[in-house]
Order: sequence, then structure tokens, then C-alpha cells
Amino acid sequence: MSSSRNKSLARATHPAWTPWFFLAPFLAITAIFVVWPLGGSLVLSFQQTFGPEATKVVGWDNFKFLLRDPLFWKAVRNTTLYATGSVLLQLPLALLLALALNHPRLRGRTLFRLLFFLPSLVGLIFAGVVFSLVLETRTGLLNHSLHALIPAFDPEFPWLSRYPMAALLLSALWLYVGFNMIYFLAALQSVPRDLLEAASIDGASAWQRFRHVILPEITPVTHFVVLLSLVGSFQMFELSWVLFNNTTGPNDGGLTIVMYLYRTGFIVGDLGYASAVGWVLALLLISFSWLQRRLRVRSAEGGVA
Amino acid sequence: MWVIVGLALVSSALIVAWPPAPREGSPFWIYNDVHRTTYEPFIAAWNRRHPDKAVDLILLHQTALERRLLSGFLSGTPVADLVELERAQAARAFAGPLSQVGFHDLTDRVHEEGLYDRINAPTWTPWISRGRVFGIPHDMNPVLLAYRADIIEAAGIDLPAQVETWDDFYRVLRPLMQDLDGDGRHDRFLLNGSTNNELFLEIILRQAGGRFFDDEERLCFNDPVNARTLAHITTWLTGPRRMCTDAPEYSAAGHKMRLDGTVLCAVIPDWMTGQWKRELPGLSGKLKLMPVPAFTRGGRRTSVYGGSMIGVTKTAPDFEAAWDFANALYMSPESAEVLYRGTGIVSPVKELWSLPIYHQPDPYFCGQPAGALFIAQAPDIPLRTASSYERIAIERLLTVATLLVAYADREQKFTVDELVPEAQRLLDIEHAAIDAQMKRNVFLQE
Repeated sequence: MSSSRNKSLARATHPAWTPWFFLAPFLAITAIFVVWPLGGSLVLSFQQTFGPEATKVVGWDNFKFLLRDPLFWKAVRNTTLYATGSVLLQLPLALLLALALNHPRLRGRTLFRLLFFLPSLVGLIFAGVVFSLVLETRTGLLNHSLHALIPAFDPEFPWLSRYPMAALLLSALWLYVGFNMIYFLAALQSVPRDLLEAASIDGASAWQRFRHVILPEITPVTHFVVLLSLVGSFQMFELSWVLFNNTTGPNDGGLTIVMYLYRTGFIVGDLGYASAVGWVLALLLISFSWLQRRLRVRSAEGGVA
Repeated sequence: MWVIVGLALVSSALIVAWPPAPREGSPFWIYNDVHRTTYEPFIAAWNRRHPDKAVDLILLHQTALERRLLSGFLSGTPVADLVELERAQAARAFAGPLSQVGFHDLTDRVHEEGLYDRINAPTWTPWISRGRVFGIPHDMNPVLLAYRADIIEAAGIDLPAQVETWDDFYRVLRPLMQDLDGDGRHDRFLLNGSTNNELFLEIILRQAGGRFFDDEERLCFNDPVNARTLAHITTWLTGPRRMCTDAPEYSAAGHKMRLDGTVLCAVIPDWMTGQWKRELPGLSGKLKLMPVPAFTRGGRRTSVYGGSMIGVTKTAPDFEAAWDFANALYMSPESAEVLYRGTGIVSPVKELWSLPIYHQPDPYFCGQPAGALFIAQAPDIPLRTASSYERIAIERLLTVATLLVAYADREQKFTVDELVPEAQRLLDIEHAAIDAQMKRNVFLQE
């Protein structure tokens, strides 16, 4: 009796539409700035555009051409290589750094944390500009220093032309390793101390403590960082664009999927085709997320079993 | 809750009712800060003389200008009445059916008023799409060879007298390719150029008669002239006849190489003289200009790179006022003089070529009349087209050049004749790729 009176009182003071009322601004903004453009781009991906107004429905033609275009596959290959390299290089290094900077006996930990994190504050454009200067032939810091140390070293060695992907990975490593380190650091600091102490008392070595205590404890964060790195890598554009001086790089070595999208949409002016590229990229990212989620669930189930 | 609702309603009403800032004149978008400083005095005077046709100069970043312009054409959001555009942007703005181009078609007007004949003929072509004129050229961008007179003349070489062709250039200057620090490697090179230097590649290709599109805007990327020119360029970039190094434009590193004399010569359009004066004052009195060496005796001694135009958008409420301003800005002697003084850009208006300023000694170029030297090459400027696919073609050109140099190094082939077949093969591949993109454009097939 009392409960039903409370419910009717609550209904009187908070009508059923109240939550929707508060959600309305968010829903309106999402609908206008997310759902509508997404729908528009989906429609556009089945059209061809040329110039500001001309559009024509071409069915699946954009997608068919996309799958046949060797340059698109080159972009996919480069992006996959970059994403793989990023995950395999950045994350272990970030974890190593986090482990080192989490050590209680390390002096100046806060300063080191700050120093490693600082590059991630400056952004991709800055990193691109800095590394394009560092890797410049003849006047670049790297060649200049190497030639000064080893006179036989060719001061005109073309790092950017010869190793475009390595240059990209190196710039991204400098930029993001500190950023990822912070995630791992936070995860490491949340590992229960009593678990580690218990393992130590049981005679576990440092490696065994890492392998059997720390790693399982930080797995959720690791999954998150891997996903974040993969999504970020697949969306990579600015770094490559700036590093290779607003081009796709020597022999398209710096061409990424988003750069391919930009090139077709904003340089050639075919927004329909660019939308198709965007949707293929979105599907790729959704697949990665789904796959990663499946793997995580499976590993969690395995752990329980 | 009602407080939030009230605030939302009041703020929405305020935003709707807030009067837009009054226009101080016809908006005129430009993308170049140097142009802004040269236009401001002219526009101030114009606005005093013609308060009914006042112009409001607005500087935008190049990308922002293009996005706002194309978005405006697409969606009807406000765009300026007058817009100054760079060549690649203009080509994209001209894309699509002619009736849908957002600029006024000026073809009849420029012919009726004699404007077409008053401007250097080859300079019109980037602003013409499918036979229709959409802009008045701001400049003509002829190219000359800038060389370090202090170093070259000290070696007893009179470059203009001794050099007519690129072969002469290499033969005469080769002794100056030197190892200055004794490490067994050259520290001084004859010409600025590399496979990632778009300006260099495009200038040399066009000088040799190469092109990406024919007069009908059909793709001719694999033209045999392009193949032969790329083979030539490759011999300059690698192998025993190498004479180029990469001194990047617009960069401190490249400027240091120019100052140090690491590179002795460069092919530069007129606008770059203004840029060098601003960014490389240390080269004043050390440089001279001369016509670009030809590929064959009697051949073309110039090329072209860059360019801007002014166009009147279809949304301009008063076309005549906008047209009058555009005419006055680009055709007046005062404006041409300020432009040359501030940027080194020579007006494409033929009757202005006799202005004294173009013929005055320029201390930066050892007292040479730089303007007159550029003007002398104006009639020979190569023709260009306004295709939105040109940017892609240039990108592919860089790729072919990179691959060809790698091929030369790998196969140890360093003569033009040895390299031509591979250049042609690479161009054919890229031609097919661009052609596939163009062929699937249903609007180009109509």
C-alpha cells in the first residue's frame, strides 16, 4: 500500500518523460551531428560526385572500384603495417617504461614520467614537423650527427625515401609511448600489493610475479590500449601527411587509408567514393573491435575454466 | 528543471535575434598573407573613392578558403563576392557540369572588354575549363635560373654567355662540384632538385614540353616527352652525371644550403624572388638570373609554376561592382607596382610591362632588372589546363621519378637512352591508374 503510494508520488513529481527531457539535448545533438551525417555518407557512398553539386547514383560501383584499385590496397597494406608496428613496438616499450617508472626505489620517478609523457602533449603535426627536420638529408640532425661521428657515413642518406614506414613508426613511437605508458602505470598501481607480497613469500621470482600476477591483473587495460592503438593507427593521417610534405610519400610509402580517403574526396572531389572508403574503414574498425572483444571473452572464459 | 528550460529558451531566442555584424563591403577572400599586405593600401584607396562599391578584404588559410568556398557552392552557405584562388584549388572549384560552377562565366565579358588580349595569352589557360573563362589571372609565373654569381663568376665562368642548354650547364659548371671538407663526397651541387621536389619536377617537365593533359583536357600522362624528360632528370639526380641535391623550398634547412653555397643554382618562378628576398636577405648581391638552359639549342628557356586568379561568385549581389573592383585591382599600374615591390610577381597585363619598376636595377640580383628578365620569357610560358585530376597526376609524377631513380641505381643505368624504356613503362602504369579514375567519372563521360 505504502509502496504504491510512493510510486504514484514519484510519478507525480517525476513524470515518465523526465529522463527523456534531460536526454533530449544529447539525443538531438547526436541525431543532428552524428546520425544524420552518417546516414548521409552512407547514401553518398552509393553515389558519384564531381564538383560542388553534381551527384549520380552508381550503386555498388564505388565499392567495386575500391576493391580493384591497387592504390587502395597499398594504403591498406601500409596502414596495417603501421598499426601492427605501432602495437608491437609501442606497447611493450610503454609497458617496460611503466614497470621501470613504477619501481619504488627509482629516484626522480615523477620527473621521468613527465618527460616521457610530454611528447604526447604536442600533437601529431608537431611530431611530423620535428621528424621531417630530424630525418632531412644533409641538414637533418640524424645525418648531420652520424656524419660528424662517422665521416664515411653519407650525409645525404635518404631516411624518409628509403624507410618511410620506419620513419612513421619512429615518430609515432616518440609521440605515443609516454601516453600509453600512463595507462600501464595506472594499471600497475592498481595491482593489489598483497597479491605481490604473497607471491614473493611463496618464492616467486620477479619474472614469475610479472607473468602470473601483474600481467593477468593488467590484462583489461592492455586490451583497451591495444584497441585504442589499433583504432588510432587505422585513422592515421596528419603525421604521415606532414612527415612527407603533404604527399603520399616516396612511392606511396606513407599512404594510409584516411589519406587515400582525403585524396579522393578533397583533392579529386569525389565525395561519394571517399564516403565508400570511409565506410570500408569503419567496417574494418568494427571488425577489429569485435574480434578483440571475442578474444577477450574467450581468454576470460579460459581463465575461469 | 524549469530554470534550465527558461535559460535554454532565452539563450536560443538571443542567438536567433542577435543581429549579424553589418557588412563593411563586398567580402573578398584571399589566401596569401603577402598578397594581403600588397592589397590593403589599394583597397583602402578604392573604398575611399567608391564607398558604394566598398570591398572587405578577408584573409583565410588556403585550406579553409577552399573548404568554405566548396561548402558554400554545395550548400548555399555564404561565400565571398570575390575570391582569389590558387591554381589547384581553382581546378577543383571548376569541377562538375559547367552550369554548376559557382563562379560567373567571364568568357564573353573578357572578350567584349578586350581583357583577353591585354593579358599574356598562355596565362589564361589554368583559369579556363572546357573553353569557358572563370577567372582573371593574377600573375603569369615565368621561370628563370637563379645562380650564385659570387661563386660562379669567381671561378671565371660567365654563365649566360657560356650556357644555352642543360648539357652546356653541366659541362661548364661541373668543375664546381667539389668536395670542400675532404671526406670524399661532394659538398657543392649545381642545381636544386630531387624526386620529392614537386616544383623542380613540374618546372623541368613543362619546360621540356611535357604535360599531363592535352588541350582538350584529356589525359596524356604517358606522353613520350614526359618519359624522355624524366629520364633526363634521373641522370641529374643519380649516377656519374649527377648534379642535383635536395635543398627543400620553404624550409630553414634548404635556406641554409642556399646560403652556404651547397647548391649553386635553382629554377625559380617570379614569386619566389619575393620570398627569397624576405627569407634569404643574406643572398642579396650574390645572385643573378638568366633564362633556364634549354634541352636543345633554340629550345624553350623558361617554364611556369604556381598561379592565382580572381573570380566573382554567382552569389555576389552586385556583379558589376565586383567586376569593376577585380579589374581595377589586377589591371591598374599602381596595383601592379605594389605587387611587384612586395612579392616580385610580374603582372600578366602586357601594357604594364613597360612600367619603370620592372626595368630598374634590383640590388638583390646584382643590379639586374629582374622584372624585365621575367617579362622577356612571358610569351614562351607553357600552356596548362584546369583539371581537378592534375593534383593526382603530379603526385603520380613524384612516384614515377622516385621509382626511376631507384631503378637507375639498382640496374646501374645512367644514360637517358637506357632509362627511357623504364620511364615509359612506369608512366604507362600510372597513366592507366589515373585513366581508370577518370573513366569512372560519369560526369566526364557526358
